[in-house]
Amino acid sequence: MKKIFKFLLRRDVLIALLVVIAFLFILLSSGFSLVSSILIDASIFTIITLSLNLETGLTGVPQFGRVIAIIAGAFAVGAIPGRIMALFMHLPAGAEYANDSVNYKVVPVINKLLETSPALSILVLIMSLVIAAIFGAIMGWITSRPAIRLKEAYLGISLLAIGDFLMWVGHNWEPLVGGTTAVFVPDPLRAFGVNRMLMALIMTVVLAVLAYIILEKLTWSPFGRTLKMHRDSDLAMSVYGKDKVKVRTRSLVIGAALAAVAGGAYVIYTGTCTAISFTRLNWTFWPWAYMMLGGIGSNTGVLLGVLALAIARSMIVIYRGAVFGFLMAWGIDPIWLEYTLLGAVIIIIILFLPQGLVPERTETILPPDRVKRIYEKIIKRE
Amino acid sequence: MPGWLASGLVYASGLALTSGGITFLYITTRTFNFAHASMATFGFYVVYTFVALKGGNPYIYFPLAFLFGSLLGIIVYFILNRPLLKRKANEITLMMSTLGYDLILLSLIQMYCDYLTHTYKLYPRRVTMSVYDIQIGGMNASTYFAPITAVLIITALSLFLTRTKFGIAMRATIENTPLSEASGINSDKVYMTSWVIGGGMASLGGAVLAMATTGSPVLGMNLIANMFAGAILGGLYSIYGGLFGGFVVGLAEYAIVYWLAESVGTWVLGYRLAIPLLIMVVTLLFFPRGLAGIQWRRIFKSLSSKKGEAS
Amino acid sequence: MLSIKNLYSGYGKLRVLYDVNVEVPKKEITVIVGPNGAGKTTLLNSILGFADVFSGKIYLDDKDMTGTPAHRIAQLGISFVPQLGSVFANLTLKENLIMAAYTLPKKEVDKRMEQVLEMFPIIKEFFHRKAGTLSGGERRMLSIGMGLMRNPKIMLLDEPSTDLAPLITKEVMRTIKRLRDEIGLTVLLVEQMAKLALDIGDNAYLLVSGQIKFKGKAKELLQHPELSKLYLGIKE
Repeated sequence: MKKIFKFLLRRDVLIALLVVIAFLFILLSSGFSLVSSILIDASIFTIITLSLNLETGLTGVPQFGRVIAIIAGAFAVGAIPGRIMALFMHLPAGAEYANDSVNYKVVPVINKLLETSPALSILVLIMSLVIAAIFGAIMGWITSRPAIRLKEAYLGISLLAIGDFLMWVGHNWEPLVGGTTAVFVPDPLRAFGVNRMLMALIMTVVLAVLAYIILEKLTWSPFGRTLKMHRDSDLAMSVYGKDKVKVRTRSLVIGAALAAVAGGAYVIYTGTCTAISFTRLNWTFWPWAYMMLGGIGSNTGVLLGVLALAIARSMIVIYRGAVFGFLMAWGIDPIWLEYTLLGAVIIIIILFLPQGLVPERTETILPPDRVKRIYEKIIKRE
Repeated sequence: MPGWLASGLVYASGLALTSGGITFLYITTRTFNFAHASMATFGFYVVYTFVALKGGNPYIYFPLAFLFGSLLGIIVYFILNRPLLKRKANEITLMMSTLGYDLILLSLIQMYCDYLTHTYKLYPRRVTMSVYDIQIGGMNASTYFAPITAVLIITALSLFLTRTKFGIAMRATIENTPLSEASGINSDKVYMTSWVIGGGMASLGGAVLAMATTGSPVLGMNLIANMFAGAILGGLYSIYGGLFGGFVVGLAEYAIVYWLAESVGTWVLGYRLAIPLLIMVVTLLFFPRGLAGIQWRRIFKSLSSKKGEAS
Repeated sequence: MLSIKNLYSGYGKLRVLYDVNVEVPKKEITVIVGPNGAGKTTLLNSILGFADVFSGKIYLDDKDMTGTPAHRIAQLGISFVPQLGSVFANLTLKENLIMAAYTLPKKEVDKRMEQVLEMFPIIKEFFHRKAGTLSGGERRMLSIGMGLMRNPKIMLLDEPSTDLAPLITKEVMRTIKRLRDEIGLTVLLVEQMAKLALDIGDNAYLLVSGQIKFKGKAKELLQHPELSKLYLGIKE
């Protein structure tokens, strides 16, 4: 009995309980569609944050350019699958595809076709995500080049600036994803006879679970140990014969591929690809906050961090009138409190909870109970 | 004077002040101040508030912007920077803490803009400060006042750092903290002063920048990468390097974009972030110690000795 | 003047000194010699507040000063000339001296500076040059001059022979001796170059692996037949 009580009082378990309660509350007051949109959001950001955790938490690379890979995936899905479909359907597929007056007519035609065929839809879905992963991996490799020479904060700032720049490219170069007016993304989620939202939920949750499994396997594998070596002392790692460049590159490529898949899934879910929405705030800084809250280095922590903060964010949005309505008397929109929350979370964690909610599990060479038995044997002898 | 140069000088001066501030904060406290973004925006809004509500030209409120920035700097020192420095936090943590502060400041700025719109019927989200500028010889006075402000700050700093005991003590602490502590210099005071100066320069820089670009709640956020580029070009070794680096990045951006827009078309304007980004990456990869690290004396010596030989 | 009793110190979890007892009498040069890693610098750091004192006491003029924080040490009349980073390279010599006397009022500073310049004319020569442009020996002289700016009761020197040519080192040692003779300065000198230090020293301690292995007059230690064995920690 006491054991159960102690278990419940652990920080991470408490937060998990709070999350569940919050979900139930939202479910009862606002219905399933809101809960599912929160869950979809959380799933996408789980993948993103897991990828960030791989690069920063495990490998020790300060990835302040997480948005780069997401953009790679999102733009790839925004620009390519639609054009491929258009090609097959003898619709405009070149630069003009992304022009808003063309795109606005072409994509609905594609969607009509997709709606009729579950097989084709699944094909398009898989193809889109694979394309996203490929472009993500390429971007990951490209950004790994400066990562070889640059250190710490300098690397972080460079990656951040590159991310900004890519967003502006997407925003200005119309043939890519429509520039200032977005492009529509072909929708493979309608062909299955169920609510589109439900399909999106299934898709994103499945992807998130897959990502979690992949990352857990990676973390506790020899490769994972090498990554931690790189994080803790890349000099020592080189001494043991591991190539620092290869390790970093591999980590960055895998991380980028994962994040790109999330980006691709996101644009499929929303049905559009709007370049200017891929800001560093939403796609780099929030994932950092999720990761820091959850616990750098811990995949389970990431899950918890994403869920807890995603719910907190949504609650600000939903209940802003009710709780923060007084601000509106001065004309202030409480939506800005989302930024305050983000900033406050980062600061509070850095000052008071640098390990996060779920501290990283250190890997023991022998399982703990065996260690205990050995210890008892030694005590007995004395 | 060509239009791009007139605005370019203003922009470059503003960037110089902010890059200089970032450099100064880094060399004293090892902190890359991400909050420079919103501190700069705050400086702009201080000037805007007074100009829009009380009238007058922007320049009389510049000192107020500086003071406000110093106050913001002191706050972040006591709440965040000092405890983290005591813990010997690494550079990433120091930078992330300022990021958190920046986001809170941003939210406050946004709320403030809402308030201004609602209470005073202003449009603070898209401000063209040149409307409030005074004219000198048919041109915006900012073309003269911005560089003058930068020069004044440089002069004041130079005097402070070489002629006052505490200024020398700051340089000593920057170079060799254990030795300065053994000499009785309180490094806590040194760090606090650097935040007063750095914060002030951030806000003053923001006020100057607003004279050249559109004033908005994301003024600083949009330019933070440029500010860092200037500091990196400067070399992060001396505050004068930072000021100079910021100025070069600003002027180069304006000159190159203008030249490209003339020759290939105005579509290039959307990609102007490429210029500071390129400068930053090239600097980091090829001469990471920046302009301050280049052996200027050696270059001059070799150039002048060659001249001697030729004659 | 300075008494170190039963000192156990180190850094965090690292233990360096074990039960160290040292007496530094007034107006004399006390030398601590020992091989690399013996803990000589840690001994100085323990006095200066840069190392962690686990147990033991340090007395200055019979007053307990154990654990005094670093920036108060100067006010106690203790002057420290470090092994490395002993001058501010980017500051001029004049600025260096001003920094050395940071806690003194201006009149005092001017007076002391005159006295130090008299003793070290070489500083006057390069007064407005940046300290980094000086040679190693000149920098060492500057750092000793800086140490004198506060008219200290006691001066601690950490391996002043570091990075110096033998001839210059002799000059430095001669200067230290001069300071004891001319102004009655109390000196605690830590050195790896045993012979050079013991030549000018009055009292000597041999520190090996964190423990005192010899204590007595400098001349004795210099002529001790077992010196090299003790130095190297060789047991019979």
